[in-house]
Amino acid sequence: MIEISGLAKRFAVENPKKLSEQEKKDPRLQGRYFQSVRDVSFTCEKGQVLGLLGPNGAGKTTSLRILSTALTPDAGSVKIAGENVLENPLIARKKIGFLSSSTGLYGRLTGRENIAYFGQLHGIEDNVIAARISEMADLLDMHSFLERRAENFSSGMKQKISIARAVIHEPELVILDEPTTGLDIMATSTVMEFIQRLKDKGTPVIFSTHHLDEVQALCDRVVVINLGETVFDDTVSAFSDLSGGRMHESFLKTLEGSKEAESNVVNF
Amino acid sequence: MWLIFKKEFKELIRDRKTIMFMVVLPVLLFPLMIGVTVFFTSSAIKKAESEVLQYAMVGDAYAPHIAQAFIDDTEHFELIDIGDNTDYAALIKNETLDFVLVIPEGFTGDILASGQQKLSLYLNDAGLNKVMSRVSDITDKFASEYQSTAFATLGLNTEQQEALIEPLVIEKENIADEREVWGERIGGLLPYFIFFLCLQGAMAPAADLGAGEKERGTLETLLISPMERYKLVLGKFLTISAAGLITALITVTSMATWGIVISQGMAIEFVAEIMALVGILDFVLIFFMLVPIVAIFASALLTLSIYARSFKEAQSYMGAMVMVIIFPVLIAMMPGVELKGGWVWVPLTNVALAMKELFKGTMDYFALFGIFTSTAAIAAVLITFCVYWFNKEKVLFR
Repeated sequence: MIEISGLAKRFAVENPKKLSEQEKKDPRLQGRYFQSVRDVSFTCEKGQVLGLLGPNGAGKTTSLRILSTALTPDAGSVKIAGENVLENPLIARKKIGFLSSSTGLYGRLTGRENIAYFGQLHGIEDNVIAARISEMADLLDMHSFLERRAENFSSGMKQKISIARAVIHEPELVILDEPTTGLDIMATSTVMEFIQRLKDKGTPVIFSTHHLDEVQALCDRVVVINLGETVFDDTVSAFSDLSGGRMHESFLKTLEGSKEAESNVVNF
Repeated sequence: MWLIFKKEFKELIRDRKTIMFMVVLPVLLFPLMIGVTVFFTSSAIKKAESEVLQYAMVGDAYAPHIAQAFIDDTEHFELIDIGDNTDYAALIKNETLDFVLVIPEGFTGDILASGQQKLSLYLNDAGLNKVMSRVSDITDKFASEYQSTAFATLGLNTEQQEALIEPLVIEKENIADEREVWGERIGGLLPYFIFFLCLQGAMAPAADLGAGEKERGTLETLLISPMERYKLVLGKFLTISAAGLITALITVTSMATWGIVISQGMAIEFVAEIMALVGILDFVLIFFMLVPIVAIFASALLTLSIYARSFKEAQSYMGAMVMVIIFPVLIAMMPGVELKGGWVWVPLTNVALAMKELFKGTMDYFALFGIFTSTAAIAAVLITFCVYWFNKEKVLFR
């Protein structure tokens, strides 16, 4: 079981004096600090897919960066099978596969070399890496561009390589930050199928998205974050039932509690 | 760490821009530029020496023998009639004439009677020309004749003549050997050149390996790999250092090779002399002193690059850094600054001074301890700071 509790993270604002009047009204702004994540807590069971929702600037990416150990939280814990992974980030990184929102690849390496490099960083043997790449090339339909340099890849190609790179070490938990953003229908479908396959294998997946149809199709649980706090954490059916099956309205309903504050939300 | 280095280096050599800076520029373009410059300079000198100069002579009636000598030398001079025009400057400026020689009224070859004779030469002396020397070639012959006649009239023997021409002679007994002379001449500029090349070669990869990772969006993925941050930094640092050293080595080797090829028959003896004077051990020492220097450059460049938000921002920081780094090298070129006392411990300046001393053959090898200790210490501090920097969230996620 993945247990995230009480995550908090603040960032120093570079020039507090230069903030606009609207920015100054954001409730997360405290002096020269911006409280990006204030209290994020949720759980995810083995084999579950958890959809992380929230408006832009709500704190989703910061939360996922903390889960991936890219950022250190000011408070809170991330436990995988009862062990707080934040205490030993190097071990946590072996257990977690993370796909960031920017699908950056090394342009002068081929698709295969990009994936293999991260396999090597995880200390995996070359023959095992080759076998896993071959398997993922089948699943993600990557054979046609695997040996080409990544510099001219389309968004879909980049995303597929990035996903393969994130899971090359067969992690115990997969975190995907907006994995289908900017993809065409075919590429989106391939990514969705891949998430489903991870779910079938029993690997828990946490992914942030703005597409409620993806949540409905794949997720077991839904977590909504607003203004750096968890405002909803329950099953998809419970989420859907908030507005009689209308997902979009359910989402808006979860935000209602902090609606007044929401009008002042600013992306830092 | 080696895994990082291997991957970064593979990317580096696949980058056309980097290959351009590291190999193509030093191997082809720099020597080509020097070759073209040498070619045009030597062509201009040859042309200035051989072209027929158009001239006018005023007062030729006072020195018909000199006037005749110019007229007879049709291979080099062409007399132009300017009539009564006395605006010599205008005639020279509009290129009607190359020079005007004015012989004063009452000119005579009897210098004992007349005293020193002064001829006026009007010419445009801006730019490369050989007018003065070519006119002197002819007038000197007559000056010599006048001198001999005067000496004969005075009844002076050869020794007296010499004493009269040059009453006091200082005979220079230079205790510096040839190597020291050449070392002083080129040894001061060499570190400036080599340091700049090392820096230039390291700049492009440094910008790519730090700010480039941020811009591409690969940094975050790299940070969550199970590789310790210091190993990531060291892998990148080694790549940048290697690029700097390779660029310097390729450039120096290329310039030496092309220098010999291009200047066949001109400066080949000069090059050969220097190569014969400077021993292999000195070259090895120069190379080893460059290692901590490149380490200083690489860690400073990587620190700036990691801080920058983009490739462009990194390049602007690096441009400012070049000025900071060149300053200690310029100090080494100043008169009175020698590899003694406190200067032994001043990083960069000490290596620049040591390179000069090695070329001169006057190196105090005990100074090497201070040089290596101070430069290695600075390099170690900078690398440590770079690792610390690479762990700061406010730097990585600016």
